[in-house]
Formats: sequence, structure tokens, C-alpha cells
Amino acid sequence: MTLTLNGEDRLFYGDPMTPLVDVLRDTALLTGAKAVCREGFCGACTVHIDGVPTPSCLKPVGLVVGCDITSIEGLGIEDDGMTPLQQAFEDHDVVQCGMCFPGMVMTLTPFLRDNPEPTREAIKHALVGNICRCTGYERIIDAVLSMQSTGEISA
Amino acid sequence: MKPPAKRQLHIASSLDDALVMRKSLGPSAEYFAGGTWIMRADLRQEFDDRHYIAVGGLEDLAGVAVHQDEIVIGAAVTHGALAGAIEGLPDLAALSSAAQKSANPAIRQMATVGGNLCTRAFAAADLVPALLCLSADVEIALGTELTRMPLAQFLAGRDGFSGLLVRVIVPRQRRLSAHARLPLKKAGDYPVAIVSVSVMLDTAGLIRNAIVAVGAVEDTARRWPGLEAQLVGRRLDADEIAAIAADHADEFSGREGVEAPGWYRVKVLPELVRRAFADLPADKCGG
Amino acid sequence: MNEQIKHPAVMNLARRDARDKLRGLTQYTIDHVKPGTLNAFLLRSEVASARILRIDISKARKMPGVRGIATAEDAPGFFGIGIADHPLFAKDVIRYDGEPIAAIAAETLEQAKAAAAAIELELAPMPALLTMAEALGDGAPLIHEDWKSYEVLLEGAARGGNIAWEAKVVRGNTDAAFARPDVTIVDSCFTVGRQNHVPFEPRAVVATFEDGRYHIKTSTQVPWTVRNVTARALGVPASQIRVTVPPVGGAFGLKFDCSLEPFAAILARKTGRPVALINSRREEMLTCLCRENAEIRIRSAVTPEGEIVGREATVLMDCGAYGGEQIFLTTMTAHTLGGNYKLGSVRLSSRAVYTNTAPNGAFRACNGVYNTFALERHTDEICAAIGMHPMEFRRRNVLGDGDLGSTGQVFEGEVLRPMLEKMDRLRGASPRFERLEDRRLFGRATTVGTWFIFVGPSAATVNLNADGSATLITSGVEIGSGTMTQSLPQIVAAQLGISPHEVIVKGADTDAAGFDLGVGGGRTTVSIGAASTAASEEVRRKVLEAASELLQTGVEELVLGGGRVEIRGKKGSGMTIAAVASHIQKTEGPVSGSGSFTNPGVDAMAGCAMGHFIDAIDIPVFAVHDCEVAVDPDTGHVEVLSYRVVQDVGRALNPRAIHSQIQGGVVQGMGYALHEDMSVGPDGRILQSGFETYRLPLALDVVPVEIELHEGAPSIGPLGTKGAGEVPILNVGATIACAVSRAIGKPVHSLPLTPPRVLGLIIDEARPLDLPHISRTWSDNTISNSRI
Repeated sequence: MTLTLNGEDRLFYGDPMTPLVDVLRDTALLTGAKAVCREGFCGACTVHIDGVPTPSCLKPVGLVVGCDITSIEGLGIEDDGMTPLQQAFEDHDVVQCGMCFPGMVMTLTPFLRDNPEPTREAIKHALVGNICRCTGYERIIDAVLSMQSTGEISA
Repeated sequence: MKPPAKRQLHIASSLDDALVMRKSLGPSAEYFAGGTWIMRADLRQEFDDRHYIAVGGLEDLAGVAVHQDEIVIGAAVTHGALAGAIEGLPDLAALSSAAQKSANPAIRQMATVGGNLCTRAFAAADLVPALLCLSADVEIALGTELTRMPLAQFLAGRDGFSGLLVRVIVPRQRRLSAHARLPLKKAGDYPVAIVSVSVMLDTAGLIRNAIVAVGAVEDTARRWPGLEAQLVGRRLDADEIAAIAADHADEFSGREGVEAPGWYRVKVLPELVRRAFADLPADKCGG
Repeated sequence: MNEQIKHPAVMNLARRDARDKLRGLTQYTIDHVKPGTLNAFLLRSEVASARILRIDISKARKMPGVRGIATAEDAPGFFGIGIADHPLFAKDVIRYDGEPIAAIAAETLEQAKAAAAAIELELAPMPALLTMAEALGDGAPLIHEDWKSYEVLLEGAARGGNIAWEAKVVRGNTDAAFARPDVTIVDSCFTVGRQNHVPFEPRAVVATFEDGRYHIKTSTQVPWTVRNVTARALGVPASQIRVTVPPVGGAFGLKFDCSLEPFAAILARKTGRPVALINSRREEMLTCLCRENAEIRIRSAVTPEGEIVGREATVLMDCGAYGGEQIFLTTMTAHTLGGNYKLGSVRLSSRAVYTNTAPNGAFRACNGVYNTFALERHTDEICAAIGMHPMEFRRRNVLGDGDLGSTGQVFEGEVLRPMLEKMDRLRGASPRFERLEDRRLFGRATTVGTWFIFVGPSAATVNLNADGSATLITSGVEIGSGTMTQSLPQIVAAQLGISPHEVIVKGADTDAAGFDLGVGGGRTTVSIGAASTAASEEVRRKVLEAASELLQTGVEELVLGGGRVEIRGKKGSGMTIAAVASHIQKTEGPVSGSGSFTNPGVDAMAGCAMGHFIDAIDIPVFAVHDCEVAVDPDTGHVEVLSYRVVQDVGRALNPRAIHSQIQGGVVQGMGYALHEDMSVGPDGRILQSGFETYRLPLALDVVPVEIELHEGAPSIGPLGTKGAGEVPILNVGATIACAVSRAIGKPVHSLPLTPPRVLGLIIDEARPLDLPHISRTWSDNTISNSRI
């Protein structure tokens, strides 16, 4: 199977029923997506499939042939850079264990592109599929809201 | 300990191809649309070998066609796509709400209408009661035939159903509708009880008839005939109607679950009825 | 405190590992499974209690891809805390659903699972005791038939039958207190379920066997415990084992024990290949070392003026099939359920009870969380009984300077009363919710909690490099709270006069740093911080002495700062620290300092505490929490409208990081109080096997916590600091339970307060909970010497 992964065509020779998250982690060695729950509840395995945030634990790799798959590693800027959303998280020192953050970034990036001035409530609704066990969320939301005042919303 | 299941993926090229595959692969074959239920088989400790026939990309199952007198929804349409297609259509508010609030944002982009209706073991499906209260029909392919039937009839025959759900047809009527769901947290967990209602009002603004569908309380969603009968001729007063619902809640026997006991699902029904009726737009008095 | 001059160690230093975490580049243990690593899988019991008649692995050995299988024969040693009751594999007897029976390493995980399924097992089912009441019942079968023969690792406790361990406190004469004619006696019972840590990274290990030694790379809080327990389990010298720790994706206490590591170690040696063993989420749900379920009876004799002249309590702690952490935690009842308030006389019995269920363990503030719930609800019931305002009662009775704790230790400093005052002001400054716009019932409560810093041995070395940077070597692990990346480099940097960005923090490696009790319980900042301070002080002395010679100036006239040694008052004078370090390196050798720390020990009253690992706490930590709730009378849903915390931190080294810990800890507490239900099914298996049924708080379920940090309470920690990461969860169950109880006007005796439970309380008649298997006669709930 030919997969388009972060803009590159890659060949995968395994079982088409393999969840995409395992192909990313074990074959492509892109370990940013984490298989935390394998149920679609936690959001830690979120990738973009044709731009749509998707839980990669529930997607058989055989069904994403021909799709554009973007993982957290493919989201960034070259040369050690970060997106404005990632920068906001770093500036506000909100990261703790870090396992949930790739998924948070993958969910919030298209959300903020489509909703440049969200309310606190709207952000919380957008994060219904992203669990964090460490931070208690509010400071993550603060960091996102801070982007509005700096005009840095576009991811 | 059971050995790991052998699961094979087959991608159907057309509706006919899917039906042929199902016939040749036999009872260990299942249709795979969004896959959000199927991909959790290991977690449910289901280790039987399976053939999955992927139908999510079939044209026959795609798209939402909005007509004046009905909408036609392909079975492979996702909750998110459905919500987008019918946003702002007042008569379909229950369906809109159900499709917008189910599960979580990412799952809504993946889970399909067909999956929601066909997954026998998933009692908390949001779209089922919403479609019931809107008098939806389904079109199924069994063998070489396409058959149309009311959703309730389809639900009754779901056990052992081996056909393929192709589309859902929802009539457009001058009805008001609303969907009230009760997860145990604010959101993100499956509702323990669901009430979807649609009403037709007469020129005086009284209820001419009401369809009240209850989901998640029992194994399969169904209507609430005892309550419906009591509503004819009544005012659209949510508190009054909730009180009547309390008198008729024993029509249901709540299923026991790890997340909630049966008595609780039934006990909250009157409040959900109140919320649903309170949600019906008060300024719209159809005729 | 505003009056303090800002210490150079105090700053909101940002954590240095955030960038890689945000970009998905951080390599946690689960990411260390490189091609060529074997995948291991544990065959686990699917029944709660049985005798193993036969295991046959011959078919499994021949399955495709299988490279090695381990069973009980490969792990002869028993381990544990207090008593060594725990074999690595089920040995002859299965004691819980999920107990490991064999471990298989294969090329793929699927092959390992297929081989596990091919292992032939013949079992003879035995009765399973699934509740503590059953386990303590007359004639109950013994879950550990050979309990008498187990090696005792700490003397002085009572144990016997299905009681793994019993800790007792006796101070003063409670019989006399309860017999007084002027007292009101209040008796309350409480019951709580388990809580699962749900760290996003499950327990995971990658092990290799190289040059005759095991190298264990594991997601752990306790590298030295892993080393020592693995050695015991395998029956090999501990020096043969090296433990290193990659960044940890959450722990919260789950990883404060050795668990998967020995299995991987055995398989690495058998196969000669790297072996990865990672728990699935399902395994983490079903065999988590949870915060234990518990049952409590507490009764108090109180005068009309609100003086607590006598208190007796019994706590039953379910340790599951093996004693584990609960044995140690019996110690903490004295300081939590027996904490907060002045007591005229007190008797406490804290019993770790075996059941045929998955073993429990330590989770952020452990039994402090449910003991505080029980204590504060009981306190509210006392107030109702004697007609005193709950805040007035607390003001009169909270521990203050010179007051005695339950084991007779003398508390220092006036801490809780000023904290209560701060909470009053915090409350007064916020918007009030009391008039709700909808049908919901309003409630609010303020609670008090006592916890401790888990002080104990730590070691540190600081190398001052010739370029002026410093390397801090400890066995500390970064589990997410940030202390390894913030407090520690802040402390070392301030001591040495360099920037914290110049302090390299080496990841834990038992081959490099000395013994450490582990990360958790506030230890990183206090114990590892103290050892690091001592090590830095030694380096600082050496630098100042050398600089003094080089600059021909007395040491007292020199200051370290900004990477330089300068003469006091003469800006720009002196030289760089790098230059001093280079000089010393050339003339004497590389510069380093070492430090070591353990708890000095505080005295309890003689004869008060029996079977305790900690008789008196070196560093108490206090917390005052307040919340407002709205309860839906038709569905039982509880919404937390506001939440406030005043936390005793001693000294806030990184206030922003502490705020983050408090927000996170309170939310975990909200999960415990309202959503996270864990129950054992009739077959002895945990019913909540995933996130569908185990409900974690989401962004919509939480509120921003208003925080005030209370500084200045006495602490032996570096710069007067106390650890701040653990205690935020302590009072949350209590605060929400008290508020809900007031909202609905009914007693609350159980957590979590899920909607069905709350609705049940609302519609049913108020019925106090009674636990018949915990006697009202306190001494019935203890093992007297004559009975064993």
C-alpha cells in the first residue's frame, strides 16, 4: 500500500487491518501519535486525514491509501520551529507529562483556523475528544485564548 | 485465553460488489462503514475471525440530498457531514442536534448514520431515536433487492439482519422537533437516556400529535405510545408534559449497565421530556 | 510572603522539555521499541481464585515467532513492603483475576498473544473473597495460607489471617472520654471505591541483558526500587541490574512500585534480545495499582463547646491479593484521619485486608484523600449534632503551634488558622453564586486537610564543568510535575550563581547516582532538593575558595551571580565561574560536590504508634479548599461552580508550576469525587475496562481553580520549601461531598457522587450508612496479641 505521510509517499507491506496509529509508530517510526485508549475517547492518537482530525487508532491503514495523512511531526515549521499554537503552549508553560499535547495540537489547529476567535466554552466543546490527565485543562484554554490578543491565531 | 482474531479487510468497489462479497464470505462477514464500533472488537473481547467489507466509499451510500418533501441520507454519511447538511432546517432540529452532540468531534467525522442504526449492541445510539421521532424510513439491500421500510420495522428485525443499509429517508413535515440526551458528564460519554420528540401543532398552537422516541433506556430505541396518546390537544407546556411523562414512565424497563442502573434511566425520563419540549421553538406555530 | 526578599532560586522558570513534547518528538519508554526488539505479553489469570494443577508451555514454545517463555520457575523470590508476600508469577495458587502466570517474548505482539493462548492450564477453582467483609468473616478461607512463613521486612506490626498488616494508634483514654456525661457522641461510616491513575503512558519497560547485567529502561518513579525488587524476584545480586528512566508520560503513584520490569528482564536474558513489555489500556484498567477501596467507621465524643475529647476510628483498606503499598499506607491513617484537629484522646486501627482482587497501590495522596473525605463529613455531622457552625468548629479545633498530633508529635507553627483566614478573604473577593437561576440546589463547603512530605533518602552529585555549566546527577525522574526541570535546576543555579539554563539535569541511572527512595509524595523538591543543595554547597565552597586565592580577596567579600564571581560592591570585577572551574580542574582536578539527605525524624509520643513506618511526620502539609456546587434535583448531576485552594507550600520556588499542579490535582480530585467509578464484578474482575465506562473529567467538566499559596510555615526542605505537587488532590473529595450534602440536605457517605448515586440520595429517605462488620467497640477491630 502506498500511503502519503506528511507529504511523502511511503510503502507499507503489512496487514490492511492494522490501525493507522501502529503503522505510524512501528513502521514509519513517527511516535508522536500515542495509542492511549484505542477507543477513540482520548484523542492522543489524532492525525489529519485529508485535513480532518481523526483518531488513528480506529482507522485501518487499508482505508487511507490515497489520502493525505499528516501527523504531529508533519505539522511543524522547519529547523526546530513550532506553530503559533505550539509556541503559545510553550510560552504559558502548560505542558506537563506531554502525552496528550500532540493530540491537542492536532485537534485545535484546524479548529482555530475555522474559528479564529473562539470563546472559552467553544474551545472546551472542541476538546470533548481530547483528555488530559495532568493539567486540568484551564491553562491550556488560557494559552489558546492568549493567541487572540497577539493576533497569532492562524496555525 | 482466546487466540487473537484473524480479521481481513475487503474493499467493495460497488454496491453489487459488496452484496456479492457478503454472500460469498458468509456469516463471518460484516459491513464496515466508519468502523468506530468494529475497531473496538478486541476491547469487547470479541475474538471470532471476521471478514470486513468496507463500504464507506461507495457512491450509493454517499451524500445528503435535501429536497422539499424529504431528505435522503446515504448510510455512509458521517454524523458531522449530516449535521452540516441539515443545519438550520427547523423541522429536522432533532436530527441536527443528535448529529451535532453525539460522541466527540473527531468521532463525529468518522462514525456513520448506517453504523449508528445497524449496530445492534449499541443501545445509546443518538441518531436512532431522533430518526424515529421524524418518521424516517430506511432502504436496505438484501440479496439483489432494495427494500424500503419504516425505521421501527427495521429495528425490530435487526437480529440476524445480514443485508446492507443503503440510505435513510426522512420526510419533511411541518413539525417541530428536539433531542434531549443525558450523558453522566457534560459531554463525551454515552448518554444513559435519550428523548427525541417531534410535534405537529394545530392552528391554536395546541398539540395535534406528538411522536416521542426514547433511546438508550432499553436495548433498542422505541416510541412512547402511552405518553403520545396523552399529549393530543395539549398546550406546549414543558412542565405539564413532564408531569404526565412521570405517570407513564413505567412503560419502560431500564437496562442495567456498568455506567448506570436501569431504574436511573427510567427515573430521568420525565426531566428529559421536559427539556425536549422546552427546546421546541416556541415561536413556531405550524399548522 | 511580601516581606521576604526574593531569593534567586525563586522564579517561574519554564520547563525545558516542552518543545519536544509539543512536537511529538519526546521518546517515552513506549517509544523506545525499535525494530528488532521482541514483544512480550503476559498470560494472565482469568479467574480470581484457583489452584494451578498443571501448566504446559510446550505447544506455546513451538509457535511461530516465539523466542522465550518465562514462568514461576524463573523467578523464585518473594517481595513486598513490610512483608515479602508477593511472587512474580502466580506460584501454585492464583489469587486475582489478571495475575501473571507466564510471560512470552515473540517477534510480534500478535505472535506472543497466540502463544499465550496455546499455553495449557489446568486449574482447580477455589472460593474467591471479593469484599473485605467476606475476607474478615468468621471461617473465611485464607487467601495466603502460608502467611506465617512470610519474611517480615519491618518488625512491630500485628497481622494474621486475611489481615496483611495492622497499624494502631493509642493515645490517652478514649473509654473515659466517651463515658463523660457532657459529651455528644457522633458515629459515622463511609465507603469509597478505587481510583485508577490513568497515566497516559501505561506501565512499560524495555530490557536488555548485556555483559552479564540487566539493563532495564522503564517508565517508573522509583528506579532503585525496581533495581532491588527485580533482584529479589529473580534471585540475582542487585548490582547486576541497571535501571534508567526515559521521560515518563504520567505516573501519579502508579509507578511507585516495581511491576512489569522483572518479566522483561527474565525474557531479555533468556532470548539475548531486547524485550519490550507494555501494558495495554485494558490491562492498566483491570490490574492497576489503584487507590484502594476502603471502609471507615469514625466516632467522636465532643463537648458542647466543640472540644473533641475522644476519637476512635477503624479503617479497612483493601490491599487486593498482595499487601503492596497498602501495608505502608496503614501508617497514614494516623496523620490524616487522625489529623487536622486537636484530640484529647484517640484510638485508630488501620488494617490492610487481603481480597481476591487486583492488588492496589499508591495514588496521589493515597488514603489521605478518602480519610479527609470521611473526617470532614464526620466533622460536619458533629457540627449538626452540637449545633455549631462548621467554620467556627474548625477554627477552634485545627492544629496549631504546640498542639499534639494523634501519635503525640508536637506540631510547629500556626499554619491552619491563618490559612482559614486567607480562604475567608479569597471567598469574599469572588462572585457569589448562591442565587441560582435554575431549579438546581446550591451548596458550598470549606474543608481542611493534613498530608505530609514523604521525606527519605536521596543522593546527589553536582559536577561543575570547565565551561561554567553544571551537571546535576540524581536518581530523580521527570514524571510531568516539572520539578526535575524547574525546582532542581533553580536551586542548583541559585547556589552556584549561574543560570538555570546552564544546569544540566541528568536522567535517572542507578549506575550513576546514589540511592533514592523515589519521585512522588513531594520528594523531588524536598529530599532530592536537599541532597542537591548539599552537593551544590560543596561546589560553591570550592569555587569561592579558589576564587578567593585567585582574586586575593576574602571569601566573605565574594558574590556568585550571573555566571561570575565578583567582589561585593564592585560590579564587573572578578572573573567568570568558568575560568575558576577551569583553573581548579587544571590544578587539582575536576570540580564536583556530593550531597545526601534523609529525614531527621520527629518524635512521636512513646507507645502511641504501633506497626507504623512513620511514627511522626517530618514535614506536614496543610490544605484548605472551598467549593460551590449546583445539584440537579431531577437527574442528580453535580456541577462545580467554583473552586478555591489555599495550600501550605513553605516556600514557592516556581509559583506558576505550583499553580499548574494545583489545577491538575483538583481536577483529578473532581474525577474522584464525581465521575470515576470502579467496581468489582461478581467474578472478581474490575468492571470498568476502558474510557467508555471509566469517566475522566473533560475540559467541559472543570473550572479554573482560584489559588493562594501560603508561605512561611516551618519546613526543613531547601529554602523552607515543601513539595507541592501531591497535595492538591487531598481535600477535593471532602470539599465536594460536604457541599453536595448541604445542597441536598442529606448525609453523604460514599464516593464517587455519580448522578445515579446523588439522585438516589435525593429521592430516598435519609439513611445513615452502617457497616456491621466494623464493630462500634473499637478494640474488636484490632488484633490483640493473644489471638495470634
